[in-house]
Amino acid sequence: MEERALLENAISEVRAVEPRQVMIRAGERVTVSTYLLEGILSRFIDDHRGMRQLVAVQVPGEFVDLHAYPMQELDHSVGSLTPATVAIVPHDALKAILDPRPELTRKLWFSTLIDAAMHRAWLFRVGRLDAVGRVAHFLCEINERLAAVGLSDGHRFVLALTQSDIAEICGLTTVHTNRAIRQLREAGLCQIRSPLVEIADFGALARRGNFDPHYLYLDQSELRIEGAQR
Amino acid sequence: MSHNPSTDPFDQAGVASVEDGLVLLDGPDGIAIALTAEAAVATGRSLVEAGEEALRLRSAGQG
Repeated sequence: MEERALLENAISEVRAVEPRQVMIRAGERVTVSTYLLEGILSRFIDDHRGMRQLVAVQVPGEFVDLHAYPMQELDHSVGSLTPATVAIVPHDALKAILDPRPELTRKLWFSTLIDAAMHRAWLFRVGRLDAVGRVAHFLCEINERLAAVGLSDGHRFVLALTQSDIAEICGLTTVHTNRAIRQLREAGLCQIRSPLVEIADFGALARRGNFDPHYLYLDQSELRIEGAQR
Repeated sequence: MSHNPSTDPFDQAGVASVEDGLVLLDGPDGIAIALTAEAAVATGRSLVEAGEEALRLRSAGQG
């Protein structure tokens, strides 16, 4: 049986999720992993005052919390930013299909390593880039990830996020994000007519955001499960 | 590993501007924060006082 079919057979449930729902709380014991079919989910950490920092967003075709399989609990929470549809994959079922298949295990391992690579890029983004650069970097990244699953034509895509969401992703205030988006538009790099994002000059946007797509490893097709981004 | 200049103190000023009644500080480097007007004024005063103190200590050979 093909790898994709094996994973599909391991799905116990397909579930619709309302927007702005907390799906998994940090520290909860988890016995399933979540594969995103539609919508955008976030991974986030709240501080002791409840101030939230988004540490990852997931787009369709990605496992949200595959790392929960070996770790059995999450050190962050998972929530929906938009209406979403997710497939639930019990860890018992994952174990059953992975134990005899080291190559498939390696591919799923690769998927979680891409997660780690993106976390490093997000650290770079909030640590080194100015406000405009952070927004530019994020828009470049999300464009590449959506293009990998056919949800961007390379320049135009639907991104049902608010400016507040982008602010949380970029470690900025909403007003700062609003101005950064305006500056990108005035520079002729991209335009957001929510929910549509149009990138007028990807190369210039990438340069402004210090964006190098290598960390997404999109050319490593032999390490991807056919039909899934990661 | 060679010296990483990003760990040095900033020697260039940030740029403050007003946006929707708030004060945005961009730079130096990757700094990007927004402050209420009151917080900006208080932060500015504190920065000026500390900067002048650092200059005074440096000229006295104590900084």
